[in-house]
Amino acid sequence: MNAPDKNRAQRFWLIAVLIAFELGLVVVACVGRRANTPGPASAKDYFGNVAPPRGQVFTFNNGAEPEHLDPAVMSGQPDGRVARLVFEGLVSSDPKTLAATPGQAYRWDLSDDRKTYTFHLRPGLQWADGQALTAQDFVWSWRRVLSPATGSRYANFLYPIKNAEAFNRGELADSSQVGVAAPDDSTFVVTLENPTAYFLEIAAFYTALPTPRHLVEKLGSNWESAHNLMGNGPFRIVEWRQKDRFVFVPNDRYWDRANVRLTKIVALPIEEVSTSTNLYKAGVLDWNPSGYVPKQVIPFIQKFKDFSGGPFHAVYFYSMVVTRKPFDNVWVRRALNYAIDREAIAKYVLKGTVRAWGNITPAGYTGYDAPAPLRYDPVQARECLAKAGYPGGKGFPKIEILFNTSEDNRRIAEAVQAMWKRELNLSVTLTNQEWASFQAATTARQYDVARRSWIGDYMDPNTFLDMWQTGNGNNRTGWGDPRYDALLRGATREPDTARRLAMLSQAEAILLADGPEIPIYHYTESSLIKPYVRGIYSTMLDVHPLTHVWIDHGGKDGDAVAAAPRAAPEAAPQAEGRP
Amino acid sequence: MIPTLWVIATLTFFLMRAAPGGPFQSEREIPAAAKEQLLRQYGLDKPLAEQYVRFLVNAVRLDFGPSYKYPTQQVRDIILTSFPVSLELGLWALLFSLALGVPIGVLAASRQNTGFDYGAMASTLLGVSVPNFVLGPLLVLLFSLTLYWLPPALWITPADRILPVLTLSAIYLAYIARLTRGGMLETLKQDYIRTARAKGLPESRVIFGHAFKLGILPVVSYLGPAVARIVMGSIVIEQIFAIPGLGRHLVSAAFNRDYTLVLGIVIFYAGFLMVLNLLVDVAYAWLDPRVELA
Repeated sequence: MNAPDKNRAQRFWLIAVLIAFELGLVVVACVGRRANTPGPASAKDYFGNVAPPRGQVFTFNNGAEPEHLDPAVMSGQPDGRVARLVFEGLVSSDPKTLAATPGQAYRWDLSDDRKTYTFHLRPGLQWADGQALTAQDFVWSWRRVLSPATGSRYANFLYPIKNAEAFNRGELADSSQVGVAAPDDSTFVVTLENPTAYFLEIAAFYTALPTPRHLVEKLGSNWESAHNLMGNGPFRIVEWRQKDRFVFVPNDRYWDRANVRLTKIVALPIEEVSTSTNLYKAGVLDWNPSGYVPKQVIPFIQKFKDFSGGPFHAVYFYSMVVTRKPFDNVWVRRALNYAIDREAIAKYVLKGTVRAWGNITPAGYTGYDAPAPLRYDPVQARECLAKAGYPGGKGFPKIEILFNTSEDNRRIAEAVQAMWKRELNLSVTLTNQEWASFQAATTARQYDVARRSWIGDYMDPNTFLDMWQTGNGNNRTGWGDPRYDALLRGATREPDTARRLAMLSQAEAILLADGPEIPIYHYTESSLIKPYVRGIYSTMLDVHPLTHVWIDHGGKDGDAVAAAPRAAPEAAPQAEGRP
Repeated sequence: MIPTLWVIATLTFFLMRAAPGGPFQSEREIPAAAKEQLLRQYGLDKPLAEQYVRFLVNAVRLDFGPSYKYPTQQVRDIILTSFPVSLELGLWALLFSLALGVPIGVLAASRQNTGFDYGAMASTLLGVSVPNFVLGPLLVLLFSLTLYWLPPALWITPADRILPVLTLSAIYLAYIARLTRGGMLETLKQDYIRTARAKGLPESRVIFGHAFKLGILPVVSYLGPAVARIVMGSIVIEQIFAIPGLGRHLVSAAFNRDYTLVLGIVIFYAGFLMVLNLLVDVAYAWLDPRVELA
């Protein structure tokens, strides 16, 4: 090739690259509107690529880098998802209903006074390193959670256990007085302070997972580094690179190993919601869990079959500091509540991606008869404000809405600002702070009105009502009412479910009438699951046991063999649940 | 260098402490016993002056302790595992910008005022002005989500490198191309080039044998600070492409009030930047012919 030819070739190549590189942008701008165009191997009904991965390999976004791998001290959802893969508690959760199913215990009994649970452990349980796992491990693990020296942030989950709270607060030094015992290696007995309807859910929670005493005592806090971590659950960690990925493979010593079909799980820590959704669309992720679909695109994505948008056990609300003027006046609180058009916020501000909500507790509790929700009533709102001594908003001080920085929070605050101005003629300012500053301000009650939210921990109204008791650390409003406290205490001791729920409902009614809370909307779950993934369902608590998940290749790749009926647990009778 | 580092470390230490909230601030109340235990464990219950002295003593030994947010990880280990990732991303981007930017600049200069020149300069103008948080998602939209050619994020396979490297290099490529063109145009007007042409040398010899060495000098002087910037990790790109680099850690550490991690990364950055600046100064003295003559 002579020189001019070479130059020409070089020139052509450069121009080609430049066209691809820069004019490509213009092309992108044009196809942008058709970004939903399915990939090569995808059906139109689904969002993006639907070609299943080769083999039984499952990849999902775990959301963020876990802070802890030690179940006793962890306090975040990403941590919990890893823990539930590596460890298994006394009971597990049904992937559809989250009802307690047999875990390390194959059966349990509840005493007549509903205060003593006796768990019967499966024979031959082992840690992943082959050490035997006995009831003593649970006794030791639960005491460890409660020990003040452990510094467990979720120790209060175990407070329903007898003497647990006193021991955790350091008021009781003797750990043997905590209501956990192991009369023999396969029996674990829990004595509760009060009948606790949701105790099995607590037993399935990650704080209650067992931890390997032999490793914790040998390695100290180093035991929770990924290469030392050893559990008793369906999977074990084989690779961990920070902010990069976790890789899990089945634990061959798990009692139900025969029914674990996945051969590998990859968990990616992706915080950026659009990146996560992109990876899902491109087919890298098989599961994009709730919270990682950008809110703005939900109205567009929700028509696809792989979008899942059930209700989520959480409520978005505003709270007011009742020790400050003018919020110390109950009529002011009522006026502010009546003046809010929740339907408009849900429909126009949030484009119908959430449900307007006028209650403290979310939907979905069996047997719970929630009080009538707060409703939008501008006339009533103006009357209340007049009763408070500010007719037509005259003399009402300027108030401020505080929220943590986010586009949605701002738009909601703007809507509320406009509603309070329109209905009550109040002047409201908006202030946003980044997360940590915002938490510091609300904890110190340094605000007028603040954006809050609460995610329930177990399926019982108590998880939403408990925090409003006088002096509770999550109250953050200074509100308290002896009638309310009495109802909640009474409900805790009440063994009869119907009566207990009725008392909680009365308590909620007090809160709605006089309380410091302005409920706004009920969260919805919004996740994406590829059509070939089997075993993940939409659940209220956004908890998803992955033990029995598998990839459906449509009968190819040995699926048929793997899909054989599940073997009954060896030498273990079927679970009974509550008598 | 040491006094500068000390000032930076001290400022960062006190600024972090002045920010509201702390590493154990959470949406849910932490049981009092747990909170006390955590504060004691990290020495946060001690007076600030004592904490500061302890921090300085440890910092001298390059020991920043464990991260507050990820207590299983030492700050040093976090930096040592994530910096190489940022470095790799930066070096690829630099290499790509040079490999493409210099030839474009040279060609544009040798064909001044032709279609190619105008085209190249218009596209580089675009490259300079489109911010990477716009370019990145656009490239992802085209190559990953519409054409399904390349992965949209992550840092595992070689193919994963392509889009982040392209995104990061765009602006450097554009600068390098423009600087090369400017330098070459300047040089091509020189008398010795006319001489070279007059003696009948082919144009390629004139450009590569004679003009190139001088014409490339502006690029060399630009490279010094550019190298420092490019290998330190791009926060935006690491975030968009979920790359486990150092830039991503710095931002999240500040939001998490992860005192030890912030201090560790800031001191590392500062030290690294100073060393690079020093190296650039040395390289200048070595490259610049005037210095050589003196």
